[in-house]
Amino acid sequence: MITCKQVSNALSKENYKDMPFVRRFFLRLHVSLCLFCGKFNKQVMESQHMCSCYKEHEDTLASHRPKMDELKKEALSKLIQSQIK
Amino acid sequence: MPIDEQPKVPITPPKLWVEYYGDYLYGFAMSRLRNAEAAADCVQDTFLAGIKALEHFDGSRDIKFWLRGIMRNKIVDQIRKSIKENKVNIEAEDEALIESFWFKYSGIATTNPDPWQFNPRKHYDNGEFWVVLEKCIAQVKHPAREAFVLRVLEEQTTEEVCKAMDISPNYLWVLLHRAREQLKTLLEANWTGKNSK
Repeated sequence: MITCKQVSNALSKENYKDMPFVRRFFLRLHVSLCLFCGKFNKQVMESQHMCSCYKEHEDTLASHRPKMDELKKEALSKLIQSQIK
Repeated sequence: MPIDEQPKVPITPPKLWVEYYGDYLYGFAMSRLRNAEAAADCVQDTFLAGIKALEHFDGSRDIKFWLRGIMRNKIVDQIRKSIKENKVNIEAEDEALIESFWFKYSGIATTNPDPWQFNPRKHYDNGEFWVVLEKCIAQVKHPAREAFVLRVLEEQTTEEVCKAMDISPNYLWVLLHRAREQLKTLLEANWTGKNSK
């Protein structure tokens, strides 16, 4: 039997999806049934899941991100050239 | 390098790095740091470190991702530096949360958090959702944002984040809770607003 505090501690230290199957099972069971921590920790788990998916999608976001200033690029190219000579 | 240890992917020469990977790495750094100057410094430090370490590159993955790996350490260093200059002070409201009954006995902030106004999982296949989420992450306030970037996005351990931010594990928990709360509010405002148009 795991306590609410143990569930909360586990979720603050680890990602739910990275936990071993048995631990994940008991944790999910507790969160599904618990009247005290259930709603809160379910949202923590949802947030972890969303962030994992975001990281998986990150490379598709490159075109939406800001670009480096052309002058800075030029200066950086010159610096690199000086380093590899 | 012996013949059987030839790299599996071609190595882009450093003189082309700025042209090929400059924007990609800068955009990545901006997503974490939100500061143009700091992001440009990170890209520069990454390229210089990459030139020095190039002989250790094993060619097992695209050099872009190898450089990104180097840059992740630079990003953590940048955040650590900015926190040293802008020390994190615990707010009275956050202190009260740490002292609250629910946190002490159950490790939660409330038994009844506001439910989501929409189910985010239903939108994970929509590329636009991640663009909006990234914009929302950028709007999370200091110091919750830094805690979120280090712990969640850069996957530093609790101990490492506490050391970098000079805060207790309990306060880190509060900051991550604040970041999650803000993200939820921002997403509900930005995503549901967008979808109802």
